[in-house]
Amino acid sequence: MGSRASTLLREEEIEEIKKETGFSHSQITRLYSRFTSLDKGENGTLSREDFQRIPELAINPLGDRIINAFFPEGEDQVNFRGFMRTLAHFRPIEDNEKNKDPTASEPLNSRSNKLLFAFRLYDLDRDDKISRDELLQVLRMMVGVNISDEQLGSIADRTIQEADQNGDNSISFNEFIKVLEKVDVEQKMSIRFLH
Amino acid sequence: DSEEESMSEGEMERLKEEVEEKKKVIAIMRNKPWRMKRRLVHLKECQEFVDKFEGALGKGKGRKFYAYKVMMTKKWIKFQRDFENFKTTCIPWERKIKEVESHFGSSVASYFIFLRWMYGMNMVLFGLTFGLVVIPEVLMGLPYGSIPRKTVPRAEQPTAQDYSVLMDFNGYCKYSVLFYGYYNNQRTIGLLKFRLPLSYLMVGVGTFGYSLMVVIRTMAKNADVGGGDGDDGEFTFAWKMFTSWDYLIGNAETADNKYASITTSFKESIVDEQENQKDENIHLRRFLRVLANFMIICCLGGSGYLIFFVVKRSQEFANRDDLSWYEKNELELIMSLLGLVCPPLFETIAELEEYHPRIALKWQLGRIFALFLGNLYTFLFALFDEVNNKKEYYANFTLYNNDTDTTPPPMDPSDVIRGPCWETAVGIEFVKLTVSDIQVTYLTILIGDFARAVIVRFLNYCWCWDLEATYPSYGEFDISGNVLGLVFNQGMIWMGAFYAPGLVGINVLRLLSSMYYQCWAVMATNVPHERVFKASKSNNFYMGLLLLILFLSLLPVVYTIMTLPPSFDCGPFSGKAKMFDVIMETIDLDLPAFLGTLMGYAANPGLIIPAVLLMVLAIYYLNSVSEAYQHANAELKKKMQMARDEEKNRRNNTESTDQVMKDLEDLLPNRSLLPPAPPPETGAGEHHTFTSNVNEPLAPIVQCR
Repeated sequence: MGSRASTLLREEEIEEIKKETGFSHSQITRLYSRFTSLDKGENGTLSREDFQRIPELAINPLGDRIINAFFPEGEDQVNFRGFMRTLAHFRPIEDNEKNKDPTASEPLNSRSNKLLFAFRLYDLDRDDKISRDELLQVLRMMVGVNISDEQLGSIADRTIQEADQNGDNSISFNEFIKVLEKVDVEQKMSIRFLH
Repeated sequence: DSEEESMSEGEMERLKEEVEEKKKVIAIMRNKPWRMKRRLVHLKECQEFVDKFEGALGKGKGRKFYAYKVMMTKKWIKFQRDFENFKTTCIPWERKIKEVESHFGSSVASYFIFLRWMYGMNMVLFGLTFGLVVIPEVLMGLPYGSIPRKTVPRAEQPTAQDYSVLMDFNGYCKYSVLFYGYYNNQRTIGLLKFRLPLSYLMVGVGTFGYSLMVVIRTMAKNADVGGGDGDDGEFTFAWKMFTSWDYLIGNAETADNKYASITTSFKESIVDEQENQKDENIHLRRFLRVLANFMIICCLGGSGYLIFFVVKRSQEFANRDDLSWYEKNELELIMSLLGLVCPPLFETIAELEEYHPRIALKWQLGRIFALFLGNLYTFLFALFDEVNNKKEYYANFTLYNNDTDTTPPPMDPSDVIRGPCWETAVGIEFVKLTVSDIQVTYLTILIGDFARAVIVRFLNYCWCWDLEATYPSYGEFDISGNVLGLVFNQGMIWMGAFYAPGLVGINVLRLLSSMYYQCWAVMATNVPHERVFKASKSNNFYMGLLLLILFLSLLPVVYTIMTLPPSFDCGPFSGKAKMFDVIMETIDLDLPAFLGTLMGYAANPGLIIPAVLLMVLAIYYLNSVSEAYQHANAELKKKMQMARDEEKNRRNNTESTDQVMKDLEDLLPNRSLLPPAPPPETGAGEHHTFTSNVNEPLAPIVQCR
């Protein structure tokens, strides 16, 4: 398991990924072996079917959208770099990172980037707003047919009413941040990559 | 030693700080995303430091003792934590209840949690009764057949083993440890000199004492939880929508449960919202509510009269011998039927009132409570009436018989003439009532829920209208009926346990089987309520009912112990004038003399009345203190809310909520008193900056004094 993985991943690549995502050397190696174990076609990229084999993603009501978030626009395969780029959002925030120089671009796992990732899951048409229809779609996926359409509409309206501040009947990214202000996003959207 | 003693105060402080810091690092070590090796190295380092220097913080000679004390504290904390873990794994039926909760909502689950709590309490009572009363009598007392009270009389012996007689709790059942009459009145029994009559009385009183303590303690604990609701009302729906899924779930069945619980939680919030927004036609509603209450009072009156009538009839029946099965059990049947028919009737009438489901549930519970209470007390009065009547008659009888006891010829115990035993008779009545209650409940579930579900499911294939969607469809779980059934069952157990020690054992079995049976019935045959509502956070309503019933069932037993003379021929108090004479006897014979005189003084009314007054004053004082705390709490909450609103408004650049700030702004319109707005972000909606609000400069107003 270990030997095959490390021969196919070069040192320079590991360094680049480290700089881009902030993962450590051993974390990257570990994730690479996970990547290869998911890659049943053994062609160095993952397809959507490969992701759907993961039970937690298959059961998740928004599973398809999460899987979509891994793939860049319009493509059907994701390579290891893309895989790591998406996973970087779920790296836990470390205390000492807050002291890094402010001129460097924001790391991928900052609170605001985590929230942006979640926001993009809901905002399918990428217009930077979550509209009522998009909320309805999500509700239907979460709750199924157990609640009537009328009530679902009321829930969506009420959610927008709670969050909307500038009166455009949709939730912008800033309003989204405001809603989840008191939610411990750093904890909930972090996976502790164990060694 | 001398060098440690020479450490200055400042150094001690610094050392203490460092030790504290190391301890903190140890505590949060788990959350850091480090490599395992690094963690282990750090941990060892910190622990060594702490071990070395913590001991040094004790002064001089006490150092070793201090280190020892610290080590014992650590061991104790570890033991406590392990014990907590063990206790949590011991909680029974947790998974079952969680399953019910995710499918049916928190209010249905609260019934099962209540049932589990009752089971725990009854187990303790069972342990007390069996351990201190039944087992000693069985192990150390005289066996069956040795004395008259323990033997079936000759006349009854041929039928004593018949099934019908045993079902009535006569025959061998009557003369067994289950009932009061079996126990002997010897002051001490066996080698250990176990004082059975004293133990019987103490256990009887102790049952009430323990139950009281447990109920009040649970009420106090629940009252704490009910207080801090906090400000989660701000983004209820948004939070539910964006954060309710648990991404760690990998099991399909768990995922189904989670779906069900998300749906239920949405429905609960919808109902809460609807209730807050209904508009009122006050007069019509008030009229309807008064009408509904009037109708219900009529029903209650009717049922009370019915019970009274039936009890009188059963007294007449007691004088006859040729009774059909119906006539023998008429009383129990009528009581159970009333308990079955009236609650749905109340619920139908209550639809006129249009309350929030949670409040409607409380009204329903209150009404059924009144119904059962009326029934129970009518029953009790009638019973004691009979007892009083019989006692006078039989008092003469036994008095007469005792004259011939001076030289008792050796007779077979079953031939000895003995007087009646009213306590056993009362005990038998309670046991019969309990058993018939159990039977009716189980039968109702079987027929009302299970048979109905089977019929609806299978007959639907060949029926003209859709049975599942319209009438009769599947049943909903009747929370109020079940809770009250449980509470009143417990009331009967409390009342009857003194006369029939075996009753507690029967109840434990009943609660155990009820848990499994009802869990199965709910999951297999019921559908969730149409309007799902959250149970109120404090379960004190159920506990309050239980407390009331406890007091009400205490009264008859205390009356018996203090006033009624025990039967002459049976039970542990036979031969005494009053039951509590046992205590007097114990004080006289077993305790040293000065205690006796002490208690004599303590019982003086001159001492008791001031004590009662003192307690009343203490209650008043504690009440005012608690009110003051609540007031302070409310003030603090208001302050927090205001601070939060201020911050919200500052960020939104709208007007201030603080009246003082508003006035100042009006006076000085050109200068903004609030901090400047943050720079507008890309891709966001329009922000109003503060300066755009102010259109025209107003003339500055000169301050006049």
